[in-house]
Amino acid sequence: MGEHFFNINNLKVNIDDKEILKGVNLEVGKGETHIIMGPNGSGKSTLAYTLMGHPLYKVTNGEINLEGESLKDLSADKRAIKGMFLSFQYPEEVDGVTVEEFLRTAKTKTWGEMQRILPFKKLLKEKMEALEMDESYATRYLNLGFSGGEKKKNEILQMSILEPKIAILDETDSGLDVDAIRIVAQGVKKFKDKERSIVVITHYNKLLEYLAPDYIHILMDGKIIKTGGMELAKEIDENGYEEIRKKYLK
Amino acid sequence: MTSWKRIGLKDFEFPKIVKYNKKYLSFEEGAKKEVSLNMVTDITSLPSPKIEDNFTGVGTEFILNVKKNYNAGIDLHIPKDLKIKEPIRLDFYLDEKNNHLVDFNNIYAKENSEITIVIDYKSIDNVEGFHNGFTNIFAEKGSVVNIIKLQRLNSKTLNFDSNFSRVESEAKVNFVSIELGSKLTGFNYTSILEEEKSYSNLSSIYLGDKEMKLDLEYTMIHKGIRSQSNIETRGALLDNARKVFRGNLDFKRGSRSSKGVELENVLLLSPTSKSDSIPALLCEEDNVEGEHAVSAGQIDKSKLFYIMSRGLSEKEAKKLIVESSFKPIIDKIPFEDLRSEINIDIERRLIHG
Amino acid sequence: MKNKKTYIKDINRTIYDIKDKDNSIYKSQKGLTPEIIKEISSKKNEPKWMLDFRLKSLNIYNSKPMPEWAVDLSDLDMDDITTYIKPNTKQSHSWEDVPEEIKDTFERLGLPEAERKSLAGVGAQYDSEVVYHNIRKELVDQGIIYMDMDKALHEHEEIVKEYFMKLITPDDHKFAALHGAVWSGGSFVYVPKGVDVDIPLQSYFRLNAPGAGQFEHTLIIVEKGAKLHFIEGCSAPQYKVNNLHAGCVELFIKEDATLRYSTIENWSRNMYNLNTKRAIVEKNGTIEWVSGSFGSKVSMLYPMSILAGEGARSEFTGITFASKGQHLDTGTKVVHAAPRTTSTVNSKSISKNGGYAFYRGLLKVTKGAYDCKSTVSCESLMLDNDSKSDTLPIIVLNNDNIDIGHEAKIGRISDEAIFYLMSRGIDEQEAKAMIVRGFVEPITKELPLEYAIELNNLINIELEGTIG
Repeated sequence: MGEHFFNINNLKVNIDDKEILKGVNLEVGKGETHIIMGPNGSGKSTLAYTLMGHPLYKVTNGEINLEGESLKDLSADKRAIKGMFLSFQYPEEVDGVTVEEFLRTAKTKTWGEMQRILPFKKLLKEKMEALEMDESYATRYLNLGFSGGEKKKNEILQMSILEPKIAILDETDSGLDVDAIRIVAQGVKKFKDKERSIVVITHYNKLLEYLAPDYIHILMDGKIIKTGGMELAKEIDENGYEEIRKKYLK
Repeated sequence: MTSWKRIGLKDFEFPKIVKYNKKYLSFEEGAKKEVSLNMVTDITSLPSPKIEDNFTGVGTEFILNVKKNYNAGIDLHIPKDLKIKEPIRLDFYLDEKNNHLVDFNNIYAKENSEITIVIDYKSIDNVEGFHNGFTNIFAEKGSVVNIIKLQRLNSKTLNFDSNFSRVESEAKVNFVSIELGSKLTGFNYTSILEEEKSYSNLSSIYLGDKEMKLDLEYTMIHKGIRSQSNIETRGALLDNARKVFRGNLDFKRGSRSSKGVELENVLLLSPTSKSDSIPALLCEEDNVEGEHAVSAGQIDKSKLFYIMSRGLSEKEAKKLIVESSFKPIIDKIPFEDLRSEINIDIERRLIHG
Repeated sequence: MKNKKTYIKDINRTIYDIKDKDNSIYKSQKGLTPEIIKEISSKKNEPKWMLDFRLKSLNIYNSKPMPEWAVDLSDLDMDDITTYIKPNTKQSHSWEDVPEEIKDTFERLGLPEAERKSLAGVGAQYDSEVVYHNIRKELVDQGIIYMDMDKALHEHEEIVKEYFMKLITPDDHKFAALHGAVWSGGSFVYVPKGVDVDIPLQSYFRLNAPGAGQFEHTLIIVEKGAKLHFIEGCSAPQYKVNNLHAGCVELFIKEDATLRYSTIENWSRNMYNLNTKRAIVEKNGTIEWVSGSFGSKVSMLYPMSILAGEGARSEFTGITFASKGQHLDTGTKVVHAAPRTTSTVNSKSISKNGGYAFYRGLLKVTKGAYDCKSTVSCESLMLDNDSKSDTLPIIVLNNDNIDIGHEAKIGRISDEAIFYLMSRGIDEQEAKAMIVRGFVEPITKELPLEYAIELNNLINIELEGTIG
């Protein structure tokens, strides 16, 4: 799987002393797209939050490395600066902070250089147009009063502005109508290039047909139990997770 | 002499308390054996945990008056783990010969027990009466106490009622207060959520008409972590009725992860009614969620119009809206006869008042 | 432009704490006697009615007890406060004439910047007398009067006599009486009928001498159909002695007139800020308050709107930030005294580091004031567990034809929101500051840019190193 661009080794994670992830292994090469699928409660969102460094998720074992550097002990902001991005399943609403102000600050921090107001406005406008977002969203408060679809688009907008090295998309396709999925998928596709990797966490395969992933992983009971190609998604679609469990879990 | 400025009680003096000789307790004899249920004879020798000294109720002098002059009341102890399904009912009926009621009630629910008590205060004739009461509730770990107080005293009677509850870990006290009568009412309910996951709930409704005056105060004091309280009050004011609502949510330091909600909704149905609301939120702990909301005004005009367009008169439509607002709370009374009496009373006052 | 930015970035608390040498030529004796009052009045060469008014107020002051219903004032030694200090300077009309030392202080506060940006006029109060006052010529040509109160008493005696302390009378409370006895300086604004003053007028007060009280009087009259935005900023450096501020603001808004009154109060941490502000609004008139309370040791401040004419409107937007050693008891009062009046209250408070923020509000609807509407919202943010935050709104309704909504919330910054911001590369302290700034955004967006920047800087200063 390439040059160990990003890897997770035997990752074990607890929430409130309960083990949720029981030894996850994953290697993602530069420019690759991976899909992690799994039923509800399999630990998908735990994995997403853990990779971003949520303080409630305690890593008890294992490593998370990006370009040879360990992220395990870094706070979320430091991980973002290293090039990690998480598209939240449920983005937070932050009153009084505009999308534009927020993103300009975030871009300044992650890129380490002051973002000048006018060029940034231009960039933001461009990216918003690509996502078919109305310009007015720039001056609205972060996610406040956004519909589910608008929130997800806003996550993809942030990703395309911050240009991380690796993006984890946690259920970005859930709750979206057909048009929104298409727009979001195009946004993700534009983001994707030889240098950047994507890990999509999902329990459907709506986004799959747009993204042409390199690998599909099945996460169940806190472990990746099977890795394969598109045929795995098809198998889940046809037989359901129960059959998959019987077939691959022990 | 006592005067309350806000509600307009002037130069009040306590009457000389006469005896109350009516029977007020109805409870199935079989169940009675399981619990300890006695008429109160001597407050000073109550075997239960001692009465909170700092509790001032509607006023120190009123508490003192009860302690000195009580003429009725019960001392109830529910043993550990005993869950009593059948509600205990107290009917305090004031009449010409028994026009003073000073009741002291002590309710002590031991660990994991459960009890429901319904207390009905009612005038059965038109005589001038006086009620001053003090109800003390102690809910031990895991116990559930449901208490429903119904007040239907006549428009010549002064009514004062102080209520206190101490709620231990994972215990629940659900207090329902229904204020429909009296000339003037001073009501206080204070609950201390003492320990982890203490739960205290107060639901009340009031209907004021004629020259009725109501001063209602509800206080939730959060001390335990993850404790939860709710105050929900709905009321309607007619004629020259006057009401003061005071709701206090008090988060003491250490009550982290607690939650308190306080809501008051008052329907103003007369241009000469008066309504004061003072919802206080006191907080010395950052990790809590507290909120209060008050709404006041007339019945929504489009709602009224919609109902009237189906053939109801304005009074009937208003009655319907008030009733539907009160219904969830009235439905908590576990006695059909009381529920229907209340509904008839509300209807009479809203339609024919 | 770039220079200015750096200057603002580097701002810190110490710039508010610069003490000038105390070189006043005159200081009244400590404590209050009729003799002192007479001396003040005669130095100012006041008409007899004003002297009589001062003496009457002094009597009321001596007869009234200290208010005990809100904050602890026991540390405030009234005899210890020098009530009148006249700076060693004459009224200047151009910036160049202002003495260097004073100018320097103002410069640090960013005032000449504001002037340079062609704001309408700056009336900066330095202790008790206004040292610098300038009003743009076109405003004068429109008939607008903007001058310090002492001067107005001489030049527009009739107007002053008609309005002065008629809305806030010396009988109101002890500190209103004190104010009536010893008031000095302040701003007088008169906007004639139909005049729309499209640029804000500004005034900056600052206490300099240790132990000095400040009793400035602001009187604003906005005539029928006229419009004005007035901005007042207050600041005082740090001293060991407790200082007292007991100003009065009286605002008269006539039919169809609009006044927006913005204040940022950033008194030093030993200040007792017992300020009284009141507006009376006539038919279809509007008062808009924007109020920020940051500094002081103790504040009691409840700007009041009396909606006296049919269709009058009030809007209050306020933020209070209580930090270590501060007890800020603030809020607003609204009296709906006429039909079809409307009011909106939006109050936010932040407490941290042992600070105590108390919201105290009154909403009253009188008997004949039918068809009124009011919406009140109070939000409190607690940044740590040593602080306190209380909310006490009083709602008094005396008729039924009204629509009243009140909401209050208390809580802390959500950990999930902090994580979300951090996941985009923003460090924890900045994430918290961002959320706090967002919390006060409804206020900042109501302020002119320089004040909004000052407010954000104050928040940054307040948050520095204390959270996280």
